[in-house]
Amino acid sequence: MIIAERKPFAEIEAACRPYRRLLVVGCGTCVAVCLTGGEKEAHVLASQLDLAAQIAGREQDFAVACLERQCDREFLDTLEEQAEGAEALVSLACGAGIQFLAERFAPLPVLAGVNTTMIGINRQVGLWEEKCRACRDCLLTLTGGVCPVSLCPKGMLNGPCGGSRDGRCETDPERDCAWTLIWNRLEAAGRLEQLTAVVPPRSHGPAGLPGRQSHPAYLRRYEAHD
Amino acid sequence: MTEFARALAEKEFMILARLDPPAGPDPAPWQETAASLAGRVDAALVSDNRGAVTRMAAVTAAWLLQQAGVPPVVVFSCRDRNRLALAAELWAAQALGLRDFLLVSGDYVTLGDQPEAKPVYDLDSVQALDLARNLDGGSDLFTGAAASPTASPWPPQAMKLRKKISAGARFLVTTPVHTAAELAPLVAALTLAGGRPLVPVLAGWEPGAEDDPAAAGAAARELGQAGAAGLVLSLSGEAGEWNALLTALGR
Repeated sequence: MIIAERKPFAEIEAACRPYRRLLVVGCGTCVAVCLTGGEKEAHVLASQLDLAAQIAGREQDFAVACLERQCDREFLDTLEEQAEGAEALVSLACGAGIQFLAERFAPLPVLAGVNTTMIGINRQVGLWEEKCRACRDCLLTLTGGVCPVSLCPKGMLNGPCGGSRDGRCETDPERDCAWTLIWNRLEAAGRLEQLTAVVPPRSHGPAGLPGRQSHPAYLRRYEAHD
Repeated sequence: MTEFARALAEKEFMILARLDPPAGPDPAPWQETAASLAGRVDAALVSDNRGAVTRMAAVTAAWLLQQAGVPPVVVFSCRDRNRLALAAELWAAQALGLRDFLLVSGDYVTLGDQPEAKPVYDLDSVQALDLARNLDGGSDLFTGAAASPTASPWPPQAMKLRKKISAGARFLVTTPVHTAAELAPLVAALTLAGGRPLVPVLAGWEPGAEDDPAAAGAAARELGQAGAAGLVLSLSGEAGEWNALLTALGR
């Protein structure tokens, strides 16, 4: 899922100052699971902003809404009524949700309340780890299910750099060397020979454009997504 | 065949200096160091923003060395260049008469003086070697790769070194080692049945804080017996220290 962290309060508060009526919009999917931008966090942020406004002697009103997803138009449409009269929206969704909300309610200003950090997994309660960079050319079959693009800071495709020490990364001794993880996984599985071929450079061509993909079944049924 | 390649094949033991280009635009101190090394080292390895610390471009620094009579081996790192820049700079270097290169991934940016810079790593060192050999004019180049014999675990390092050699590395330069034991796994990993390493290995060496310059002589003997084809000496760069070190090596 997509992981995000809330922006520093002072940054959000400063961005809100020019507006009197604001709507804080949470998102009930990924950012709710990582306890950053769900319904509860939207209410907490609105209360904090409200307090800060009162202390500063500013007349501001912070309403709250939470959508199931901000990355789906049908959910955005349900916000129409609540957005009426708001001078700005504060979105607690990931970067995709913030953009879709801004597009749907343009020219209303949409203020980002979170920094989107990664695509990751829930390692333990309250601990998320990055796993994927959405690079569009998945190597996980080759690398034993450990991603060198996301987990090696240099994105090395043909083996470790010379900075690996005791299986840790040269950038941070707390960080595992991705290539040690790959090696150990494949060695345990008896599949090291799949690492012997030279992996060619990745294509960065497609990443130069914003990604688009359509599902062929929908295309047939609705003649959509031209 | 480049002169450096010929020397590596013919000389019993090579002595190289590893030099970091000046951290600024003034070439004078660099030229002084070059003049003091001319005729006393077989070549100089010109580092490329080593440790991710900003310095004068390696191509220019290498050309200045060449003018002063020190054959340069130019390091190109993948950290600061995508594949266009690597190719462009290889051609730029070739146009200036430079033919010998060490192609490396490069120390990560957070270790250096611009820790917030965007790291490139469009290619890794294996892919960069392959790019160089397939470049127009690439067959005139003599390219090597870095080896890190003290990296651990060792087996994935050995696997990558074999890939580097298959992609066109014709010599290796190691990170600084101090004993034959540190060099042993590397030599063992690359040794063919006949006992000779697959490609010549130049061992990095730098004197420790308490080392007498004469330690260089002992290091040369020990690492030579362990299979090194030469030493790549590094120092903080004072001409006086170089003099003592090279004198101890009979240079």
